[in-house]
Amino acid sequence: MTASHIPAPRSRTRFANWAGVVACMFLVAGAQGAEKIPRLANGKPDFSGIWQTTSAAEYDLEPHAGRKDAPPSPGAVEGNFIPYLPEALERKKKNFAARATLDPRLKCWTLGTPRGIYYREPFQILQRERDLTLVFQFGHSIRTIHTNGTPHPENLDNELWLGDSRGHWEGDTLVVDVRDFNEETWLDRAGNFHSTALHVVERWKLLDANTIEYTATLEDPNVYSRPWTLSVLLHRHREKNFQLIENYCFTHDYDEYYPFTTKK
Amino acid sequence: MDANMIGRTRDISKVLVIAGVVALSPALAQPQDAILPGGSSRWEKTVPEIASGKWTGPRTPDGQPDVQGFWSNTIANQNNWTDPQGGEPGGKTPKSARSERAPSRVSDPASGEVPFQPWARAIQQEFAANFHNPVKPQYIEPLARCAPGGVPKSFIWHGYEIRQFPGYVLFIFDSGSRLIHLDGKPHLPSNIKLWNADSRGRWEGNTLVVDVTNNNAKARFGRSGEFASENVHITERFIFSNDGQRYNYVATITDPTVYTRPWTATIPAKRRAANGEEPDGWHFDGVYVSRPGKPPLAESTERVCVENNGGFGNVAITSNQ
Repeated sequence: MTASHIPAPRSRTRFANWAGVVACMFLVAGAQGAEKIPRLANGKPDFSGIWQTTSAAEYDLEPHAGRKDAPPSPGAVEGNFIPYLPEALERKKKNFAARATLDPRLKCWTLGTPRGIYYREPFQILQRERDLTLVFQFGHSIRTIHTNGTPHPENLDNELWLGDSRGHWEGDTLVVDVRDFNEETWLDRAGNFHSTALHVVERWKLLDANTIEYTATLEDPNVYSRPWTLSVLLHRHREKNFQLIENYCFTHDYDEYYPFTTKK
Repeated sequence: MDANMIGRTRDISKVLVIAGVVALSPALAQPQDAILPGGSSRWEKTVPEIASGKWTGPRTPDGQPDVQGFWSNTIANQNNWTDPQGGEPGGKTPKSARSERAPSRVSDPASGEVPFQPWARAIQQEFAANFHNPVKPQYIEPLARCAPGGVPKSFIWHGYEIRQFPGYVLFIFDSGSRLIHLDGKPHLPSNIKLWNADSRGRWEGNTLVVDVTNNNAKARFGRSGEFASENVHITERFIFSNDGQRYNYVATITDPTVYTRPWTATIPAKRRAANGEEPDGWHFDGVYVSRPGKPPLAESTERVCVENNGGFGNVAITSNQ
């Protein structure tokens, strides 16, 4: 508030009271927020826990009515639609038409970044000062987000499934730069996709102790006309004794052959 | 694992894939005590003594003995459970005398043999006899199909990383991962059977004691075909030396369905990548971070397997289909 807003002397007392009340409200709100967000010993937000979105983003990031293989959803993309280049949009339409067979998820392949985050199975974050370890129930794959100030490797041609993730803190927000992708993963069940040029910037923020606001900005000049952003909320699993249960789903294809050891 | 995949590999992945092929293919079975590209002798022949007792080394922020980092067993891969340096079943007869090779991983009973019931012994021998020519799907080692190595085989298949967190110890294996719960919560319901089972642990001085149930028993202990049933109960003791450089894995394996008595498995392990040693594609197949002027800092690389249509947990490499 600037000096020009200071009222005439006659009302100063009342203003002071009002300002004091407002200040107290902010202080209380701030203190409550600080109490509610778990923190590591170094003061950084502690994302440890088991998380899952209730959003339908993984069925289709874009707004859609209900259909046989997806519940309706207002979508998770800022501005509603992914800004595909014309040729890429044609590919996306082909993916969509063939989604019942082409979706890599059906083979239990590593879901990738960001799809693994809003896939509708839980994932667990285990956190140290130097990194966050994300264990995904689906496929039981492991992603590491490094928070020790280390840069991406010089060689970024490994074409990873989850990308190389380097994070830094902007206040209480964890900002993660993710590079070095292959082009095998999809972004959802509707065939939204990317190329090896994908670059993802994630922002992780605890809104309270049990809610993470997750946003990801995707840049890929081979596929999109401009960077675009998706956003979902992640909720902490608080059920008694809840835990991840390993889901190496690709083993189901040969489950029947093992064990052949049980005494008949 | 097909030849095309080898053709698609590059950079650091090449040595890993070749290591996998060598280990998989009987025709290319590598000699024991092989010298790896990194130049170090691969295997040791003895199991060091490490006593359970106090922990005097560093601790994690939540008070656990800090044993984080990269580790690998010191004796042999999973070719042969009871004669670890004797080669895989049906392979070449070892030239050395048995007494010149590392001891059986069965440390009790003294015979070094798994105390199988007769019917179970027959099944183990059937698997071993068919290892080179798996004419039925069940003769294929699940690990070769990208399945997790399971308990305890994961400890003799490539090096691995240990990370520790409040309430947890995480093993990141070459194929699969395993989260040990230290939080005192109960085991999963007994009808849920898992490749890497369900693990509840606690620290006793220098020893991580883990109670392991809910094992789906689909993984074999090695290519020689030793196994347990879904009823197996394993008590693991990871006994760490106070210099933080070694530990012995000592597991009591109880399964009245399959064995005549409980028995003990012992697997010695050594820290890796602590002094900037070169990745060798087996004991340590991670990478070092680029940070000039600072001590070497090792990182795990992303592991995928089924995505490459090749077994044994290759690093991520793909091709345009």
